[in-house]
Amino acid sequence: MPLTEKEVRLLAALQNIEIAPGHMPGVIRNLAVLLDQAALLFDPASDLLLEPAPVFRP
Amino acid sequence: MADLVTLPDSASAIAAAVRRGSVSARTVTEIALARIEALDPKLNCYTQVMAQRARREADAVDAKVAAGVDPGPLAGVPFGVKDNYDVAGRVTTAGSIVNRRLPPAARNAVLLERLTRAGAVLTGTHNMDEYAYGFTTENAHYGATRNPHDPARSAGGSSGGSAAAVAAGLCSFALGTDTNGSIRVPSSFCGVFGLKPTFGRLPRTGTFPFVHDLDHLGPFAASTADLAAAYDVIQGYDPGDHACADIPPSPVALHLGQAWDGKAAVLDGWFDDLADEQGRRAVGIVADALGARGRINLAGAERARAAAFVLTSASAGNLHLEALRSQADDFDPATRDRMLAGPLLPANFVLQAQREREAFRVEVAAAFAHHALLIAPATPCSAIRLGQATIRVAGADLPARPNIGLLTQPLSFVGLPVVTVPVRNGPMPIGVQLIAPPWREDLALRAAAHLERTGICETNPC
Repeated sequence: MPLTEKEVRLLAALQNIEIAPGHMPGVIRNLAVLLDQAALLFDPASDLLLEPAPVFRP
Repeated sequence: MADLVTLPDSASAIAAAVRRGSVSARTVTEIALARIEALDPKLNCYTQVMAQRARREADAVDAKVAAGVDPGPLAGVPFGVKDNYDVAGRVTTAGSIVNRRLPPAARNAVLLERLTRAGAVLTGTHNMDEYAYGFTTENAHYGATRNPHDPARSAGGSSGGSAAAVAAGLCSFALGTDTNGSIRVPSSFCGVFGLKPTFGRLPRTGTFPFVHDLDHLGPFAASTADLAAAYDVIQGYDPGDHACADIPPSPVALHLGQAWDGKAAVLDGWFDDLADEQGRRAVGIVADALGARGRINLAGAERARAAAFVLTSASAGNLHLEALRSQADDFDPATRDRMLAGPLLPANFVLQAQREREAFRVEVAAAFAHHALLIAPATPCSAIRLGQATIRVAGADLPARPNIGLLTQPLSFVGLPVVTVPVRNGPMPIGVQLIAPPWREDLALRAAAHLERTGICETNPC
């Protein structure tokens, strides 16, 4: 489903970012690429028990 | 370029001559400065040439030689640093004009300090993609760096100015940074040797960050001997970088002559599928020369690349959030829109990307249980034309700027040490990655030296 300008503006508002009209097409395009890449990480989702924290071993 | 006086052919030759007094550091410096003055207006490798500082440092080296004091192992060797390394008294631009609001650096970056102590002479700062976010060094503020082998082509990025300066003989070696491929991509495009060490090996103290948990520093040089000479000097713990491992240096220069007898394998799947014919042939040549038998498919490579892509955008957006809110117009358009998109990513995706790193680390560790070295192409193609919008990858046209690092990103994501070696098997050179287990830079450098001795890999003069 393609991203809309309204959705991007709402997301940006959560971060207190005001996106200039001239920047909007590029931001939408780049966010769409990011979401496509992120979708790969859920196809399938990796093991939720994988440990992302730094682990110290004596 | 042939009419100009060239630097002696290696850093070690320069240092040896300066140390025994047969040539002065000042003379070597003047040769380097003359080459920069003649060639850099065309290539645009430098954002600032520091002639005065270079002459002062050269004179200090000569004074030590005259006084019988050891001037250091890199005495009189000219080098440069990417413009995200602090140089005392100067604002570190990191390829941006947003950074002009920052105060001048109070101290030199730790690696720069170590090189100066070793007698090396800083000639200036090198051009880069804005905030290191790119693979072409086409910078809206400071211009594009041109490839010395073909000025109509890109030098690669983001450390493009550093790689091109070495390729053009403007300096003997250079320091760059690599977050997703920014040493390996320009090494490939410019046909020079580049080392991205293990994450945590070299302290980043005094450099401008991009993605804290992916940023690496490392050298470029025209030979493995020069690469190792620079690497040996800059190794060592520094408490200013909290990710730097507190381990002793592992000097490698003296071991480069050892014959290569390690077990190597070629990376298949993602790394083969996304390479072009020249890249595949280059990998084949290198694999034959190293006696590589097996092929290994790292099934998680695509997901690792995706995770690195997501984390990079989120982290860069986070780092620059305040400037993105208040002065977005001052960013290079090529980086601005990517950085603005990063903070808009839901946290769920970022958390998943972090998990992916551990999954891929485990998979890579299993590959190294039976092999000392893995081999893969560095870039999906050789140097692209400046302004080229797309590259052909596996039968599809993809946007060039974000995809030139397809083959480097999965490997830096898990912090592996990689030496990129140049192969000249087409109109332009292309790089091959020699990937070693964590902390075993020596293996990749020994393999690179073997390839250089057998004439497979070399930096061709421009």
